[in-house]
Amino acid sequence: MSAEYQSLPSRAGLVVVGGGVIGCSIAREAARYISGIVILEKESDVSCGTSKANNAEVHSGIGEDAGTLKQKLNVRGNQLYDEFVRGLGVELKRQGMLLVVTQRTVPVDETGGMSESEREDILTRKIPDAIVAYGEKAGIKGLRTLTRDEVFATEPNVTREAVAGVFDETYGLISPYKLTIALAEHAVINGARVFLNTEVTGFRVEDGEVKAVITDRGEIETPLVINAAGVFADEVADMAGAGGFVIHPRKGASLLFDRQVTAEYVRSSVAEFRMPGQKTTQSKGGGAMPTAEGNLQLGPTAIETGDKYDTSISAEEIEEIFERFHYLLPDFPRDALISAFSGIRAPTLEEDFVIGASEAVRGFVNVAGIQSPGLASAPAIAEMVMGILHDLGLPREPRPDFDPVRPAPPKFSELPVAERNRLIAADPRWGHVICRCETVTEMEVVNAIHAIIPATNMDAVKRRTRTGMGRCQGGFCHGRVASILARELGTPITAVTKDGESSPVFLGMAKDFLVEEKR
Amino acid sequence: MKAAERPDCVVIGAGPAGLGAALAAREAGLRHVMLVERDFELGGILPQCIHDGFGSIVFDQVLTGPQYAQRFIDRVEKSGIDIRLNTMVLEMRPDRRITAVNPGDGVFELEPAAIVLAMGCRERTRHQVMIPGYRPAGVICAGAAQRDINIDGVMPGRRVVILGSGDIGLIMARRFTLEGAEVEGVYEIMPHAGGLTRNVVQCLHDYDIPLHLSHTVTFIHGRKRVKAVTVAAVDENLKPIKDSERRVPCDSLVLSVGLIPENELSKQAGVELDAVTAGPVVDETMHTSVDGIFACGNVVGVFDLVDWVTRTAETAGRAAAEYVLEEMRKEPPIRVNPGRNVKFVIPQLVRRPERGVDFFFRVEHAEKAVRTRVLAGNEEVYSRKAKFVRPPEMVHAEVGAQAARPREVTIAVETGGKKDISSDEE
Repeated sequence: MSAEYQSLPSRAGLVVVGGGVIGCSIAREAARYISGIVILEKESDVSCGTSKANNAEVHSGIGEDAGTLKQKLNVRGNQLYDEFVRGLGVELKRQGMLLVVTQRTVPVDETGGMSESEREDILTRKIPDAIVAYGEKAGIKGLRTLTRDEVFATEPNVTREAVAGVFDETYGLISPYKLTIALAEHAVINGARVFLNTEVTGFRVEDGEVKAVITDRGEIETPLVINAAGVFADEVADMAGAGGFVIHPRKGASLLFDRQVTAEYVRSSVAEFRMPGQKTTQSKGGGAMPTAEGNLQLGPTAIETGDKYDTSISAEEIEEIFERFHYLLPDFPRDALISAFSGIRAPTLEEDFVIGASEAVRGFVNVAGIQSPGLASAPAIAEMVMGILHDLGLPREPRPDFDPVRPAPPKFSELPVAERNRLIAADPRWGHVICRCETVTEMEVVNAIHAIIPATNMDAVKRRTRTGMGRCQGGFCHGRVASILARELGTPITAVTKDGESSPVFLGMAKDFLVEEKR
Repeated sequence: MKAAERPDCVVIGAGPAGLGAALAAREAGLRHVMLVERDFELGGILPQCIHDGFGSIVFDQVLTGPQYAQRFIDRVEKSGIDIRLNTMVLEMRPDRRITAVNPGDGVFELEPAAIVLAMGCRERTRHQVMIPGYRPAGVICAGAAQRDINIDGVMPGRRVVILGSGDIGLIMARRFTLEGAEVEGVYEIMPHAGGLTRNVVQCLHDYDIPLHLSHTVTFIHGRKRVKAVTVAAVDENLKPIKDSERRVPCDSLVLSVGLIPENELSKQAGVELDAVTAGPVVDETMHTSVDGIFACGNVVGVFDLVDWVTRTAETAGRAAAEYVLEEMRKEPPIRVNPGRNVKFVIPQLVRRPERGVDFFFRVEHAEKAVRTRVLAGNEEVYSRKAKFVRPPEMVHAEVGAQAARPREVTIAVETGGKKDISSDEE
């Protein structure tokens, strides 16, 4: 039986509210010390909020303001990452970031206050040196300046307007939803339980201490609560009387391109260096980068929106992204666009992370305001939260029976031929390719549906297997995936959804509407 | 893994193109013709095309898609062709080595003497035409919706808006209506319909479904399932006119916004593609730029009628057989140039004008009272008048055997100026 229909336990040592990358990171780390942790997620899968719709970047910290908690945890998180993902079966690629200094970084001084040679010295030497010095002061390793020729040798497609650059070699990429799913599964392997489609509606607080979490499916007694509810963290904190901060949702939109067309178009993350006064938004400005799976992506934007559910993308945003990157990558293959998406970020008014035990409610820990670089900071956030939880009573002694490995399901397209044939001989469904663009087999879909965190809808299968993520965007595979979901879940095909409640893929069987009309 | 099999010819894709090519290759004398199909049955897109309108040229009869396909399937199944269903080609290299997989054979290698590409095309998606908005359930391409209803027996929408008046969009407007769904309207960004006139009449007019020309969809509403779309009129630059926007409640948006020849494998093998057709550059035998690799049907360029697909398939199959039997002459090819009001011509190259050539082309814009002329060098080798030409309708020019070998061939559509246009016989 799938996790979402199990009944809630009456007690738990720790309840994590929110199954995003932060909640799952904390749950997995806490599972090193205790069993029976509960993760509550209101959506139909983990990684359904900000964690599924971002640019997958493991930043180095170079983009953060000095002295912020964001900068500190970003730099530390990046350093912890390899260890953090060990045993999870999720690949971290440290492909580096190229920060490009261009002619427009310092425009020609038409007043004559600065000579051309002074300007060139600023562009090619002073700015790159200053960027490296700034990063090194924050503790970032592996920064080096590049000459114009070295910029082109690193990334041949960047604008001829480039004059110099900085290469940041610790910068990485990781699939944020694959990481989140793997962390959640790793926590479950070590005794945690995940409850999907379960919304927190309140808390029981007595004598200034949290006693229980109240959900739409019942109550769980617990002495410790982690509020990792992303854009809803302010509302969740207020339910417990542990608030005092405001999340103002900010939308980030990105464009995704066909990986066959754009493979190697950029090899690292590429961003244009803009002076602080040249930034037009709160975002670090985004960049052009391969995804963890090799598609090129451009973005994100940063647009304030009053609506925490506003994951739409407007014509203006699409155009803005194209315009912004036209300068950096002038010959960009626009036609290879296959998808556009946006995600909601969860900044606070202070624009910094809010992490700490509530002073008003003992046992309640806020992990809020986690916007970019939240993915990069996740290991350090989890580490910091462990310190807080230990002080609140989480045992300090690691469990001797902690299993360090979360087995990753095999991916047909990445296997050598002999291994493919061994699998097909054992089960012919391994030889049945149902998604052509991404070469996904029937067995991979079946495995996703019966995984530790079961995929129960089209998007959940897509996040685990890549069905429908290719250039045809599900034109070929959607009916096939829907049929497999219905078969494996034992439901009628009309019960199959795109991403949970209220998102049916089909509205009836053929002839159903005619029969209804006659009645 | 087993040693590579060495069929005489591998045909990739068993739609109308692949079926026709495999049969022709077999009938031209090849012993081992392998037909590779990713689906569980033969026929490609035809089994889901349950409307009629197929076969008027090839069979001089009006058939449904399944009927048209079955005529070929019956022959293919009796002809000793090696059929591999549920089989996906994973890779194709310039030396014609193919890696494929299916549940029964596992991963296997092929080293055929010739290959015919017959992969057809795929539908353009929402993001390729950049429709802004949310990403809910209920946004679907027309061909995919057709498969849902006609093969899988499920309804992807009940209150439907259709964007694009290509043939599949028009056919699906009627199909949804016949299923008791409500089609609010068909919206077309161009000032004219994209599909065949007969489909506008038979699928929209006959069912009182409105066709809104010079309109597009500017936003998709609904976070989980489509709730509505915003539609707007467009100006002469096809840009939406803001104050013409109107919100149309619906539960699905069906897209018929174009087809893209499916040439990912062709690219892997280094086959030269034409920027306009998005398919391989071929000569009149449907030979591509890579030795021993032929192509036919919609993978070469999107055809309007399946009959023409079959025509190119038979040519490709015969030529592949001839290539394998080493009868093909290695003459340098003659270039075919699109002339006045001609967008593209298939084939782009001619090798053996002495055998006659079937040309297919599309015009750039609609015109009345025209003459199609084919010039071999300066000599007119074909001339025929037509009452009108329209971009959605492919023009076929069958040029007979030519003794001379010109340096180039030009195809043009001309109007007026010539006195004899009105008196000429059709």
